[in-house]
Amino acid sequence: MRYLLFIVLLISACAPNAKESEINLDQLSWKDITQKAEGSTVNFMMWQGSPVINDYINNYLIPTVKEKFNIELRITGGQGPEIVQLIMGEKQAAVKSGQVDMVWINGETFFQLRQIDGLWGPFVESLPNAQFVDFNDQFIGIDFQQKVNYMEAPWNVSQFALFYDSARVTTPPTNLEELEDYVKANPETFTISNDFSGMTLLKSFLSELSGSPEGLNGPFDESKYEKLSSELWEYINRNKQYFWKKGTTFPKEHSKMDQMYANGELLLGFGFGEGGIEEKVNQGLFPKSTKGYAWENGTIKNANYLGIAYNSTNKPGAMTVINFLMSPEAQLRKASPDGMDSNTILDPSKLPSEWQAKFEEMPKRKYGPEMADLEDKAIQEPDPKYMIRLFEDFRTQVIEK
Amino acid sequence: MKNRGYIGILFFILIGITPFALSFGYALLYSFGVIGVANSGFTLEFWKAVFESGEFVKSLFYSIAIALVSTVISVSLALWFTLAFEKKLRGRILSFVIYLPLAIPGIVASFFTVQVLSKAGFFSRLFNKIGITSGISDFPDLINDPYAIGITLVFISVVMPFFLLLFLNVYQNERVAELAELSRSLGASERQTIWRVSLPVLIKKTWTLIALYFIFLLGAYEIPLILGEESPQMLSVLIVRELKQFDLSKISEGYVVAVIYTVIVSIATILLFSNRKSQDIHE
Repeated sequence: MRYLLFIVLLISACAPNAKESEINLDQLSWKDITQKAEGSTVNFMMWQGSPVINDYINNYLIPTVKEKFNIELRITGGQGPEIVQLIMGEKQAAVKSGQVDMVWINGETFFQLRQIDGLWGPFVESLPNAQFVDFNDQFIGIDFQQKVNYMEAPWNVSQFALFYDSARVTTPPTNLEELEDYVKANPETFTISNDFSGMTLLKSFLSELSGSPEGLNGPFDESKYEKLSSELWEYINRNKQYFWKKGTTFPKEHSKMDQMYANGELLLGFGFGEGGIEEKVNQGLFPKSTKGYAWENGTIKNANYLGIAYNSTNKPGAMTVINFLMSPEAQLRKASPDGMDSNTILDPSKLPSEWQAKFEEMPKRKYGPEMADLEDKAIQEPDPKYMIRLFEDFRTQVIEK
Repeated sequence: MKNRGYIGILFFILIGITPFALSFGYALLYSFGVIGVANSGFTLEFWKAVFESGEFVKSLFYSIAIALVSTVISVSLALWFTLAFEKKLRGRILSFVIYLPLAIPGIVASFFTVQVLSKAGFFSRLFNKIGITSGISDFPDLINDPYAIGITLVFISVVMPFFLLLFLNVYQNERVAELAELSRSLGASERQTIWRVSLPVLIKKTWTLIALYFIFLLGAYEIPLILGEESPQMLSVLIVRELKQFDLSKISEGYVVAVIYTVIVSIATILLFSNRKSQDIHE
């Protein structure tokens, strides 16, 4: 009998939960939504790999939404592929009440989630704080050449940049020709990580080979890709003997490159967040002589976003939290160079004057460049297919050769 | 009592076999594109792609080579230690030294290896300080290297102590010391005693476990993930990479590799055990 009970429990634990929450935004006012959200729990899946971001979430966001809206915010770790895997798995199993309500995503994940209809929306227009955002800004309203269409809410915007140790490198390379000279003069001090960041660098290279910062705009163009990428692989294969480990292997993640930069093995690095060096210099990981800069032909600038899972059981709660994350208050706090050091997605000219003043009074970064300094070197994210192909071909044309 | 055994089998099927069979069926269907949100019905395309790229075969042989070399070295070392230092190893401190590595998870051992053996690690710094190397690039590639030296070293350090304990136990239980003495008293040379008596007894009693450990190393994940190269990769690392890839339409290729790997390992295990059974009967 006991065994039978156990089996019944086991089976019932596997059966999908029938609870479901569908809400109709046309019939609800913002007040109704916040009322529904009150006292609820929101599950937020996000990348937890940065201490300053975790600090912002755990010591500011969670207590504040509890106090303001009586919402219990629970964080689960997971980024891009894990989010897609989870939502895809739930879709395949027809799970009606999903494990996560809101997710932190960037363009590639947005593209994947849209492919499988994994996001709920459009909802962003209904958020009161959306009025402070300029959706006509091409770096916010367009994500990887795909119109956002209010399916995801912008949270941060940043530009990709390179950085170097000015104590050991006097003039860093700013185009492919200079990079070739640089690696020959400083062998084994440069590499390309086989991840999102590395591919973003390759997109900047591809754009340079096209001859213009706008060279990759528009929908994916097979013949253009073929031509430019074969030039790029030829370039890399010709020079990889001067890369880290003589180009026989490439690091899996750019966090590994950061470590190797920190211990002096590499002299050049790159990353989003205008290089993302402020925090690492402040922590003492990077030398104070680290400087960030943009590529001559430009580096990718893009935003990252918050979305709501298609099967979220607490859509009003997720909307309330997302709206708060887009508020001037939360965005200002996030912009502090001592903290998360992340650019606001709000358009200052749309803000009430008191908030404008507060954003202007914000202290500047001590080590990294400001996004405004790199503005004229910003290029748009190309169509996601470029990234898919770069990932695939970087492996077959470079790593495996 | 009879009822008990029945329930035991039921439980084994329910908890041991069913989830395995279900997930295998799922992977099989996924590999043919029958299920999966991004797939559009039955196709052989993914199986073709996996065999055409050649990466799987490379990865398979790479994994077999690493697992084989690690197992052979571990077993040989453990045998040598057992036969040469059997008495000393039963001492308190030494047995602690053997037990210690068993308590260290693979992932910790890997990170420790990175700290110690990488180009910016402890030994590289030490050699630089005392003037053996003049910079980071002089230190040899020991991790993320083409010959998988890092992976093999960690495999050996994790697996060797286990075999050592195993052999020490068998040595005692099978009274190898007495058998050896007997063979010597009957006029066998030291060499003959080791090769004809001690070693055969130790290996015969443990070879199933040795083979199982080989299979275990074949599927290891964290250690090659941290210490391996980007290409070729060991099987588990390759499978996870394919499953998590950016291009959703190619996720099925990961399931193809997983299916082939499962089939190979299952066949190997079944052969291993059916063989053992018939041998046991002969004995």
